Amino acid sequence: MTALLLVVSLPCVYWTQGIETRATLEAAAIKRLCVAPERADSWRAAGFTVTPLSAAELASREALPSPGIAPRAGLASPTRSPWIVASGWRFTRHPGAKYVYDVPAGKAALAAAEAVAYGADAVLRIVPADVGILGGMLAFLEALPAVDLPTVSDVAIVDDGSSIAGEVMNLLARRNLLFQVVQAPSPRFPVNIRIGTPEYPREEAADPSGFALKIRGQLTDEQRTLRVYGSEVVICRLTADAGRARLHLVNYGGREIEGLRVRLRGIYGDGEAHVAGAGRLALQEQVVAAGATEFSVPRIATYAVIDLGTSR
Amino acid sequence: MHRRSFVRLLAAAGWAKAAASLDVAAKQENQAPLPGTSRNLPGIPPLRVVSTYAPAAAPGMPGPYPGRVVSVKSDKCVDTATGRANDEVVREMMARGMRTLTGAGTTPDAWRRFFEPSDVVGIKVNCGGYPFCVSAYEIVADVVRQLTGIGVPVSRIYVYERFQSQLDEVDYAPHLPQGVQIVAAERANRNVDNGGYDPATYLEADLFGEEDTRSNMMRLVSRSLTKIINIPNMKDHGATGVTGCLKNIAYGSFSNVARTHQRGKSHTYSVVGTLAAVEPLRSRTVLQIMDGLRGVWHGGPFARTTRYVFYPRQILFGTDPVAIDRLLLDVIEEQRRAHGAISIWDRSPGSLKIDDTRARDADPNVNIIIREPGHVEYASTLGLGVYDRGRIKVQDITV
Repeated sequence: MTALLLVVSLPCVYWTQGIETRATLEAAAIKRLCVAPERADSWRAAGFTVTPLSAAELASREALPSPGIAPRAGLASPTRSPWIVASGWRFTRHPGAKYVYDVPAGKAALAAAEAVAYGADAVLRIVPADVGILGGMLAFLEALPAVDLPTVSDVAIVDDGSSIAGEVMNLLARRNLLFQVVQAPSPRFPVNIRIGTPEYPREEAADPSGFALKIRGQLTDEQRTLRVYGSEVVICRLTADAGRARLHLVNYGGREIEGLRVRLRGIYGDGEAHVAGAGRLALQEQVVAAGATEFSVPRIATYAVIDLGTSR
Repeated sequence: MHRRSFVRLLAAAGWAKAAASLDVAAKQENQAPLPGTSRNLPGIPPLRVVSTYAPAAAPGMPGPYPGRVVSVKSDKCVDTATGRANDEVVREMMARGMRTLTGAGTTPDAWRRFFEPSDVVGIKVNCGGYPFCVSAYEIVADVVRQLTGIGVPVSRIYVYERFQSQLDEVDYAPHLPQGVQIVAAERANRNVDNGGYDPATYLEADLFGEEDTRSNMMRLVSRSLTKIINIPNMKDHGATGVTGCLKNIAYGSFSNVARTHQRGKSHTYSVVGTLAAVEPLRSRTVLQIMDGLRGVWHGGPFARTTRYVFYPRQILFGTDPVAIDRLLLDVIEEQRRAHGAISIWDRSPGSLKIDDTRARDADPNVNIIIREPGHVEYASTLGLGVYDRGRIKVQDITV
């Protein structure tokens, strides 16, 4: 586990429209904006919390792809081997970086959830049609109970800065193989990945999906801290200490999932789900056995946070 | 409530009770695999079964009639020009088949050998071959008629499939009495509805490196039904060779099974039988009625065209799914041979066009996956029935 302390901050909506759109934002309960410096005063005067953001500052942020499922003919199918576009690995790789999303209609809420799940500093450029749904997501995110716990990782990867290393991280994340970026191999981890070594040749890493599968085999499913059953399109981030855990679940599939089953190594007490769009829900069929805790999440449309309590 | 409803609606009340049993399930996770599973055989992946359910003293499969099949044929049961079934003839075939199988003097007595009024009975239909080859309305309706005739209330009769979308297409409701439950575990084949499955009863296997390694039994099967009647069709299947009793009951009662066959390779050889043998499915499936009014000799399990439809005009009765499927292998093979198509046992690379369903549909000499008709014999090694054709006794009846 790393001692990364999370400071939950909501992504900022970059708003280019004029003050006449105030009512639209207020109706969506969006009160915090990033705007061009010359517009900042007028928005402040309208009662908004404003962060001035120049074009140069915006351009300096790392641009992120729109999250979701992308069709890849011959490589993936929507139901069996979905091709997920996700940026959690980027946030894990560069936690202090600043990001910007420029998302098409229907993706704003997912982008916001993804950023918050990883505690990323992100600005959202959205289409006006998404204001309502994004407002709902931001209200949900703001209402989440604050919990700061260390991030849980099963494997370490030494980041050589290469694009291949990045793509390996991407595929590890997509398989919910919890990883930590390190400067040098650490005995704290059963698997330490250093691309370019005899054990992890660069040529092998050029097939990141197969490479991630190899890492999974080395770790073994039994030793994985986290397993997800019932979907291949939910990516998780786990924070935990000895007695508590917070699990972030981001659903990239665009369809509500019912009864997602989660297995966490470790013994945790009763938990609850905070589900975007549904509020607080009890976990279903939670059991503890063989050193692991299992439960079902009643439903998840885009994002859910699971809080598990002190062990019984 | 509309009588077509998801199993998930039925499941809520069972949660508290089920949760208490889940600890037990977990304790059993590391027990030995089912007798006969090929954990150590080359090419067969490790399969781990997790279930809290003990087998019945006499499990439904292979049941009281291992190695025995009653075949009832009638040239009049289907009009091959229109594909329409003759309800009256089908009823007579059903009655004769059940009486012959059981030796009972009357048809109700034959049904009483398997069911009593207190049972909650599931009827596992097959809707995958819509519109030309699904479990026949006439057969399903007669099963319901016989069950109610011996006192099983309609409210305790469930016609089930995995996908509601398929049940909606086939639409059994107009053919059945009001009150019969028609239920599915998932709205459609989209891998988002898990609520209809039992998280404590599953097969765990990593077949192709997929992340979701579990296939869970339908809650309806594990937590509600006391008996199951299996009504498969006589169909070819691109991954298993044929889809009959074993495939219908196994892949139709568990989640996440399409993962077993992809990119030209099929793990159905071991998974079909292993799933069928998971308790309580094995113990509760007490009667096999193979609907051979119509059949599909290529392109199965689908039947989107009549091009590969044929008319065996028979119904097979038994309790041994292996014995019936052993006969089915010959039926499909014979049809394919008659049409000059490659054998269901063909494994040659030259016949294989991986994932090219269009080529498969256009040409019966194309496989998209190497088929595994050996799954039937494998199931026999799990104790599910008799595979040796010389030991299978078939009683032929003509109506």
